[in-house]
Amino acid sequence: MTYTPRPPSILSRVPWWLLAVALLFVLGFWGIATDAGYSQIFRAVSGGLVTTLWVTAVAFAAATVIGLLVALARTSGNRILCEIATFYVEIIRGIPVLVFLFYVAFVAAPAMVVAINWALQPIGASITIRQFDFAWRAIVALTVCYSAFIAEIFRAGIESVQRGQLEAARSLGLSRWKCFRLVTFPQALRTILPPLANDFVSMIKDSALVSALGVQDITQLGKVYSSGTFLFFETYNVVALLYLTLTISLSLLVRLLERYLHENQR
Amino acid sequence: MPSITKLLAAATAIATLGLSAAQAQDLPDLAGREIIAVTENAYVPLNFADPATGEGIGLEYDLFNEIAKRLNASVKWELSSWDVMIQAVRDGQFEVGMDGITINDERKEQIDFSDSYLTSQQLMLVRADETRFTDAATFAADANNLVGAQAGTTNFYVAVYNVLDGDEANPRIKLFDTFGASVSALQAGDVDTVLMDQTSANGYIGANPGAFKVIGEPLGTEDFGFIFAKGSDLVGPVNAALAQIKADGTMDAIQKKWFYEYNAAQ
Repeated sequence: MTYTPRPPSILSRVPWWLLAVALLFVLGFWGIATDAGYSQIFRAVSGGLVTTLWVTAVAFAAATVIGLLVALARTSGNRILCEIATFYVEIIRGIPVLVFLFYVAFVAAPAMVVAINWALQPIGASITIRQFDFAWRAIVALTVCYSAFIAEIFRAGIESVQRGQLEAARSLGLSRWKCFRLVTFPQALRTILPPLANDFVSMIKDSALVSALGVQDITQLGKVYSSGTFLFFETYNVVALLYLTLTISLSLLVRLLERYLHENQR
Repeated sequence: MPSITKLLAAATAIATLGLSAAQAQDLPDLAGREIIAVTENAYVPLNFADPATGEGIGLEYDLFNEIAKRLNASVKWELSSWDVMIQAVRDGQFEVGMDGITINDERKEQIDFSDSYLTSQQLMLVRADETRFTDAATFAADANNLVGAQAGTTNFYVAVYNVLDGDEANPRIKLFDTFGASVSALQAGDVDTVLMDQTSANGYIGANPGAFKVIGEPLGTEDFGFIFAKGSDLVGPVNAALAQIKADGTMDAIQKKWFYEYNAAQ
C-alpha cells in the first residue's frame, strides 16, 4: 500500500491564527474607541509609539552592523580577532539588558564625557553630560547587548554554508571578499533571516527597558499613567495591544520577505 | 493667675483622657480576625528588611500591628512589588496595602484610602558642590535646573506641585524607574536635585561621603494612607483606631522611634 497525501482542502489552508489575531485587534481597538476610560489611556500611552519605533530601529540597525563585524571576526581565521570577538560575545551576552543599561547610562556615559572634555581641553571647549541624551544612552546599551546575539546568528549562518561551496568558489579564482559576497552570504542569509527577525521582535519588546531611564516610550507613558491613577491592568492592556500591533505587523512583513527569497532561489 | 491656667490645663488633660477612654470603648471588635496586609520592604524607614535578620520592620509595620491589636485582630504580612500590590488589593487578594502611598482623588476612584497616617516632609538632595540655588524658589527660577523622580511617587508630586509649576508633564522632571536610578542621575549630573525625606537623605549622604548635601526648608504636604479594596469593611475600624493612636500619643512615639532613634542607633 502506498501513501498518497490528501490534497489540501480550502479549510486547511486558511491561516486561522491570523483570523484570531485580527479578531483580537478588532475587539481591542473597538474597546478603545468606545470606552471613555480606555480612550484616555490610549491617548496617554500612544504618544510613546514613535519613540519605541525609532529607538528600536536605530538600535537594531546598529546592532546588525556590529553583529556582522563580530561574526566575521570570529570566522575570519585570525586568532587574535577571533579571541577578542569571542570574549565580547560571551561577556555581553551574559549580562542582563537592564543591568547593562544602567552601566552605560551612569558609568560609561559620564566616563566618556570626562574623556571627551580631556581631549577637548587644548581647544578650550567642553561638553556636559546632558548633551548625551538618555534615549541615546539607551540605544547604545540595546545595540551592544543585541550585537552579541546577532553575531551568533550570523556566525551560525556563515558556518552553515558547506565548505565545498567555498573551495569551489576559491578554485574559480574569486577573491576572499567576492567569495563571501557572492557565495557564502546569499546562502547564509536563508539561515539567518528567521532568527534575525526573531531578535527584532524581541528587541521591540526589550526596548521597554529604556523606560527605566525615563525615555518616554510606550511602557514609560503607561507606567506614568497607571501609577497616577492606579489603573494598572487597564493601562497594561492597552500597552500590550500596542506592542502586539507592532510585533505582528513586523512578523507578517518578514514572512513576505522569506517567501520572496525562497521564490528567487528556485 | 497661674493657678487658674494650671487648673485649666489639668481640666483639659482630664477631658482628653476621658475622651480617649471613651474612644477606646467605642473601637470596633474584630473578634480575632486575621487581616492580610501587604507592603514592599523598599522604603526606609516605613517598611524595609532588617539588615541583621531579614525580617520586615519599620514605621508602617509597628503602626498597623498596633491598629490591629486595638481592634482585636492579627496581621498576616505579605510582600509584593508596588504595581502588583495595588492591583492585588483592588482584587481583594490582600485586605490592606501600605508603602508610603500618597492619597489623591484619581486613586480614590479605584481604591479606598484610610485617613492620613503620615504627612511627608521632603527635602532637596543636591550634589555637594551645588551653589547655583539654595531652595525651591531659586531652583525653580532657572529653567535649566532639572529634578529627578519616580513616576507617581510622593517625590514626583511634591516636585510638580511644591517646586515646579503644577504641570505633571513638565519636561524639567526626569522620570526614572527606581529611586536609586534618580540618585545615580543626580550624581552623574543629569538632574540637579532629587526630593527625599530626611531619613533617606541621611542614608545616601552617609553611603556616598562628600557627594551630596541637603538644602532648603522641608517641602510638601503629601498625605500617606493605607489602601483597601473598594467598599472594604476595614476602613471604618482602621480609621477609628488610627484616630485613637494619634490622640493618645502612641503615634508620636512610633514616629520618634523610626525617624530619630532608629537612625541614631545606626
